[in-house]
Amino acid sequence: MAGEVLLGWVAVGLVVFVLGCGWRAWRYRSAPVHLRWDLYPVAHEPKARREHGGSYLEEKEWWKKPRERSLWGELLAMLGEIVLLQGVRENNRRLWRASLPFHWGLYLLVVTSLGIFAAALGWNGPGARLVLGVAGGAGGLLLALGAGGLLALRSADAKLKPYTTPLDRLNLGVLLVLGALSASIALSEGGVLGAATALADTARGRPAPIPPLVAVHAAVGALFLFYLPFTRMVHLFAKYFTYHKVRWDDEPLEPGSPMARRLRAALEYGVDWSAEHVGAGRSWGEVATSLPPAETKGGE
Amino acid sequence: MAEAGTATADALARLLAGNEGCDPARLVPLPFPYEDWRDEAIPPLTESQRARIEPGPDGVSAAQIPIPGGEEERERLVAGFLDGLRKLLTRENNWTFLQPLLLSMENCVKCQTCAEACPIYTGSGRMEVYRPTFRAEILRKIVARHLKPAGRLFPGLRGHDIELDWETVVKLAELSYRCTLCRRCAQACPVGLDNGLITREIRKLFSQELGIHMPELHEKGTVKQLEVGSSTGLNRAGLADIMEFAEEDIREKTGLDIKIPFDVEGAEYLVMHNAGEFLSWPENLQAFAVILELAGVSWTLSSELVGYDSVNYGLFYDDVQYARVALKHYEVAKKLGVEKMMVGECGHAHKALMPIADRLIPDSLRVRTESCLVVLEDIVVNEKILLDPSRNDFPVTLHDPCNITRSMGIVQPQRNILARVAPRFREMEPHGVSNYCCGGGSGFAICSSLNFGEWRTRVSGRVKLRQILEAFSDCIEPETKKYLCAPCSNCKGQMRDLLGYYDAWNRCGILYGGLVELIVNAMVDVREGFIEWNLH
Ligand code: SF4
Ligand code: SF4
Repeated sequence: MAGEVLLGWVAVGLVVFVLGCGWRAWRYRSAPVHLRWDLYPVAHEPKARREHGGSYLEEKEWWKKPRERSLWGELLAMLGEIVLLQGVRENNRRLWRASLPFHWGLYLLVVTSLGIFAAALGWNGPGARLVLGVAGGAGGLLLALGAGGLLALRSADAKLKPYTTPLDRLNLGVLLVLGALSASIALSEGGVLGAATALADTARGRPAPIPPLVAVHAAVGALFLFYLPFTRMVHLFAKYFTYHKVRWDDEPLEPGSPMARRLRAALEYGVDWSAEHVGAGRSWGEVATSLPPAETKGGE
Repeated sequence: MAEAGTATADALARLLAGNEGCDPARLVPLPFPYEDWRDEAIPPLTESQRARIEPGPDGVSAAQIPIPGGEEERERLVAGFLDGLRKLLTRENNWTFLQPLLLSMENCVKCQTCAEACPIYTGSGRMEVYRPTFRAEILRKIVARHLKPAGRLFPGLRGHDIELDWETVVKLAELSYRCTLCRRCAQACPVGLDNGLITREIRKLFSQELGIHMPELHEKGTVKQLEVGSSTGLNRAGLADIMEFAEEDIREKTGLDIKIPFDVEGAEYLVMHNAGEFLSWPENLQAFAVILELAGVSWTLSSELVGYDSVNYGLFYDDVQYARVALKHYEVAKKLGVEKMMVGECGHAHKALMPIADRLIPDSLRVRTESCLVVLEDIVVNEKILLDPSRNDFPVTLHDPCNITRSMGIVQPQRNILARVAPRFREMEPHGVSNYCCGGGSGFAICSSLNFGEWRTRVSGRVKLRQILEAFSDCIEPETKKYLCAPCSNCKGQMRDLLGYYDAWNRCGILYGGLVELIVNAMVDVREGFIEWNLH
């Protein structure tokens, strides 16, 4: 019975996590189209311009020329960020030393979780044992090391400390414990595959003894999943939007395009800012095409 | 200097409530010949100013916010601020920047990677209240504690146990005028967040909800521009006089007889100058006229209200005022029936008229707009004018205006020009999209009231000055005249004050000016010596 309860708990955690992340991404996605706020270099500019951070605005009569976009440039920039945490590496090497293992630990544990699903569906040969063992073990170790390093930096560094809340430390502590548990499970007798098989058997109605380490890991991990999407820790989605929808969003407006229609709709929104010069109670379109109420007298 | 020591919102709030000026001994050191330079502390507000005005946490005042009279007024201020903050987070009231704002507000991992990129934070000797995330953190904590339904749940644990009183509100408003919106911090942020944008949005909240703004940007800025035609106060009659003088000056200096065209319907370009040039640097307007005429470009200026001043300070603090000015600019161009607009040497006008206006201007007013740097590159590189670069036989370095480079990606054209007119050109480090702001960005260059002018030259411009000195380190002696090319009116305003305060003309022989002046100085068809070597 305890095994089923545990699995139910994990399932609910996963559902909340997926829904929460979906809600978060939807929230950003559904925000109105904003005014441009590009920041250079923009990764999809062709190489010759990308290298000095240039844009198509460097071209005379750019609107008469075909837009060149380098998908390769975007991919390279994204890969650099995901694999190497390039931004932190270049600008904050000290933090990077803890942040890189931390992120790689998480990546490997995501791989491990997917592997556990695959194992439950029958992938349980020596290949599975090896992949799950290495990913779970190395992932756990890296996560524990990274979280420990970040915790130490956040507690000792005079620059990070004032901006670190007790909850931040608690979260890092929990991740450190989860990492250590993952590594321990990988090193234990049945390994990660053994844990996966026990969980899969329980799910199929053939309750198998779940090792205590696995039970604690699953229970704490699921609890974490409950509130993770509502914290800044899931900045992965945000990062997609900050890069693709803000920094690299250099799309010029084409009359009659879907963007033009969305912008027209935005001009219909009512404005209720209270400062006198706004002259609220009208739509954005009306407010923008009128002079400030107190200054309508004009003249030279 | 106060340091934030503990991990509570309280610690940040205490810093915000402080009144500790920047310690001159901690300012970033300057290279030779400034090792012996000793700065005075920024003077505090006088007693009578202090009786009326609440300064920022550094004792400086830019927004000149009056101290609220009684309890009722204080409560109104706090309630108004919270109302504004709520509006800032709604699509109806803030569709213009809601998405980037939410992203930057909700995803900061507080890694502080952005801090070392900020010239104000580092230039001040790392004063905590100038840290790029400081303002943003205060705002986040206020949102979490006072606007979110679960704000009262575990505020200590979640780190947002911040109390809100009128002083917090006023200090936050002031602090939004200690960032030049240069966005260098955003470039360094691994999550892609933008503390410059958050600062702009704080300014906007105060302006659009409470009518609090830097007077130079609003009353003396956009309001005046919409009313009189220019934030300089220049009206049509004054404009005509200036043009007459300019034509005379051109004749005297260059030997050329040039008529500055006005309101020419159907011209290829309507040239949009920052009207500050007309008054402070008329040689810039003259140089443009010389180049465009000799290159055979069809161009015109406008004498329409607002049409002869490209500035749009709304960009820095208020979407409504921004939109009003931008629409006027495009109306003027449309009415004249020009083919295109060309933005002169003004960084923020570039950004206001090009990328930002792009999604705001209705189809009926749409006119294509180009940077003058691109047009000038075409003229110079394709030899539409004759040049003798040996006339510019002096060291030249280039200041990159943030709005033109980092925010628009126009980096190479100005360098291609300099490669042909400035044989002794050298880059500053870092440059291009990684440049440092001049310290006068986001409207600061036009504000010197109370003690803000002192702050601007000592703190916000400090890192830029260091860069300039380093670029000229091999020829820093005053006998070698050097040219700091700053193709932006606002940057030039800051350079004037910065070089003036540090006496850089006498100590180092550094003159500042625009790009077109350098081009004209090298033009074969122009009498030699267009650039006048005296600091003005
Ligand atoms: S670099 Fe980005 S994520 Fe890190 S503290 Fe600065 S704004 Fe936040
Ligand atoms: S925008 Fe520029 S001045 Fe403002 S915080 Fe960022 S780096 Fe500093």
